[in-house]
Amino acid sequence: MEGRCIACEERPAPPRVVVVGLASCFGCQLQVTNAEAHLVDVLGQIDLRYWQLASSDPMPEDFDVAVIEGAVTTEESENLVRALREKASTVVAIGACATTAGIPGMAAAGFLSRPVEVYGEGGVPAACGEMVSPRPVSAVVDVDCEVRCCPIDTMDFVDALQGVLHGSNKAPRSSTMCGDCKRNETECFFAQGRLCLGLVTQAGCGARCVNLGRPCNGCRGLSPDANLESARQACGRYGVPVEGFDRALEMFNQTNPALEDGRASR
Amino acid sequence: MTKTAIHVDHIARVEGHGNVHVVIGDGCVKTVEMSVVEPARLFESMVRSRPFHEVPYIASRICGICSASHVVTDLKAIERVFGVQVSERTRMLRELLVYGSYLQNHATHLFVFAAPDFLGHKSVFPLAETDPALFDQALGLKALGNELCTKVGGRSVHPITAVVGGFTHEIGAGEYVELAEKMDAAREFAAAAVDLFHSFPVPAIEMQGDLLAMVGEGAYPVAASDAARFLDAGVEFDADGVQEAVEEYAVGHSAALFARVRATGATYFTGALARANASWQQLGQPAKVAAAKAGLRPPERNPFMNNVAQAVELVDALARCAQLCRLLADPNGVGGTSEPVGFEVRAGRAVGFTEAPRGALFHDLELDAQGRVTHASILTPTAQNVANLEADMRTLAEALLAAGAGEDDIRLEVEKLVRAYDPCLSCSVH
Repeated sequence: MEGRCIACEERPAPPRVVVVGLASCFGCQLQVTNAEAHLVDVLGQIDLRYWQLASSDPMPEDFDVAVIEGAVTTEESENLVRALREKASTVVAIGACATTAGIPGMAAAGFLSRPVEVYGEGGVPAACGEMVSPRPVSAVVDVDCEVRCCPIDTMDFVDALQGVLHGSNKAPRSSTMCGDCKRNETECFFAQGRLCLGLVTQAGCGARCVNLGRPCNGCRGLSPDANLESARQACGRYGVPVEGFDRALEMFNQTNPALEDGRASR
Repeated sequence: MTKTAIHVDHIARVEGHGNVHVVIGDGCVKTVEMSVVEPARLFESMVRSRPFHEVPYIASRICGICSASHVVTDLKAIERVFGVQVSERTRMLRELLVYGSYLQNHATHLFVFAAPDFLGHKSVFPLAETDPALFDQALGLKALGNELCTKVGGRSVHPITAVVGGFTHEIGAGEYVELAEKMDAAREFAAAAVDLFHSFPVPAIEMQGDLLAMVGEGAYPVAASDAARFLDAGVEFDADGVQEAVEEYAVGHSAALFARVRATGATYFTGALARANASWQQLGQPAKVAAAKAGLRPPERNPFMNNVAQAVELVDALARCAQLCRLLADPNGVGGTSEPVGFEVRAGRAVGFTEAPRGALFHDLELDAQGRVTHASILTPTAQNVANLEADMRTLAEALLAAGAGEDDIRLEVEKLVRAYDPCLSCSVH
C-alpha cells in the first residue's frame, strides 16, 4: 500500500487574520505577544496579515478573521468595525473595552460634558476624530467570539483562537464568580464588610484578584445570571453601602442596560 | 517649485496610532508634524468623583505596557495627600514592579519595535528564522519582565496587589531567590543587546530642547524620589510643582496635549537617554561598563542613542532587581512588612511622580475630605516628548536633505527616529 498521508495533502490555507486596536491601552494586544515561548506556535497556525503594533505590513483587502481590541469611541471606529465585519467571516472581540466598553465606557455617563474637562474651552483637537459615546464592539456589529477580562489572559486568547480555527463546543460560562471562591476556599470579602463584585460578575478568571487579596472589580462584565436586586440586599445585610456597589459597577458595566434598569427602578 | 510630501499613516511598531507628515519644498523642509490620532480617552474626567482607591485601578488602564508605573504614581500621589509613610519593603516592591515594566517595555521596544528597522525586516517574526537564538533570548527577556510583574503585581499587565499603604500579597522567599537567579542569568544577553544596538549605524544628529529626569541622592531613581531636574537649565523642582514647571498646550493636529518648559517655552525630552545623562554615575558597575563600551557617556544628545540607553537600563535593571529580590528573600524580613499600613482619609492635593519606562510620569490629584477625586491632571512621558520629537524630525530631515538623501530614505529614517523615542501614543492621549 502506498504510504500517503492525507493530512499532508491539500491542507486548507491557514485563515488570514487581522488584529485591530480601537480605544484601549493596548494591554490585550500585549497579552497576545506575552505568549512568548508559544508565540511562534500560535501565530504559525494563522496567516497574520495586519497587526500595526508588530509589523509595518499595510491592511490587506481581504481576510477571514478580525481580532478587535478596544472600545468604539469615534464615528471612524464605528465605520472601521462595520467594514471589518463585512469582510471577515469571524469577528473576535478581546478584552473588557471591546466586550463591555470597559474603562472607556465609564465616560458614557454625562459624555457630552467630558471633553471640555480635559481639553478646555478650546475644544477637542480635530485629530481625536468625531467622538461618539463609548460602546462595546457588539453594540455596533455581531461578534462571534469574545475573550473577556482586563486585560485578557493570554491562554484564554489562545483557547478562543483554537476554537475559531478548529471549532469548539465550549460554551461561555454564565455563572457568577462566587462559586469559584468557594472552590478556592478563599474568605469572602463581604464577611469583612467589604465590597466585592464577584457576586454579580461573570465567572471564568478563577477569581484571580480575590486569590491575591483584592476584591473583584468586575472586569469580566455582569454575568447573565446576576441578580442585582438580590446583590443589593446582600450589601445591606453585610453592612456594605449599596451606593458603593452601584458606583463600583460603573467601572466595567456603565453601558450595560441592566445597570440602567436597576437605576431606573430605584 | 518642487514639492515632496512624505506621509506615514498609522506608523507601525509603536504603541498607539500616529501619522507622520513631512513636506519638503524647494530643497527645504517646510512642515513637520507628528499627528497623534488616538480617540480622546478622557481619563482625567473619568476619575473625577471616583473614590481614591479606584484611581490607580482606573488610571493603570491608560497604558498596558507601563500600567505598573501608572499604579505606583497614583499611589504616591494619594499617600502624599493622606500623609501615609509606607515601609521600606513596600518601597522595594514598588521599585521591582516599576523595573518589571522596564524589562517588558525595553525588551519589547528594542526587539519587537526598533530592531526590525535595522535588520531590514517588517516585523520581529522573520528573526525567528534568521536568528532564532536572538529571537528566543529577546522574547525570553520580555518574558522575564512579565514574570517579575506577575510575581510582584499578580499579573503581567495591570497589577493587582499594589494598593494604598502596601501590598495585598507577596510571594515566598524561594520565589524571590529563583527570580534573582533568572535576573543574573539574563544579564549577559542584556549586555550583548547594548553592543548590538551600538553596532547599528544611526545618523549623527543632536537633540533639540532640554532633558528632564528624576534625580536622587546616590541612586539611579525610578520611583524613590520626588525631585525632577531640567538638565540643561539646571533647574530642579519637586513633583508638587510640576504645573509651575511645565505647561501643556493643545495643537490641532494632535489628540495629545503637547508640553513645554513654562518659564522658557523650550521643548524637552524625557526617557532613558535623559535618565542616563542625569544619573550615569549612579548606574551599577555592569551597566556602567556596558554603557562606556558603547560610547554612551554624558553629555549624549543623539536621540537615536535612546535605544542604547534603554539597553543599558536593561543591564542595570537586571542587576538591581536581583539585588532587591535577594534582600526580600532574607529570612529575617528586610524592610519590615508590606502589609498595607493604616491611614486616615483627608482632603488635599499632591503630585505622584515616577520614571515610567518611557520617561517622567506625573499624576496630580486633588481629593476631597471623603477621598473622592475633585481634580486630576496626568502628564505622560510621550505627551511631554511629542513637541521635541517634531523638532528632532525637522533636524533629521534637514540633515538628510543636505546629504542628498531621497524620499524613501528620509521616510525610513524619520520612522526610525519616531521609534527611537519609544512613543506611547495611546498613553499620550489619556
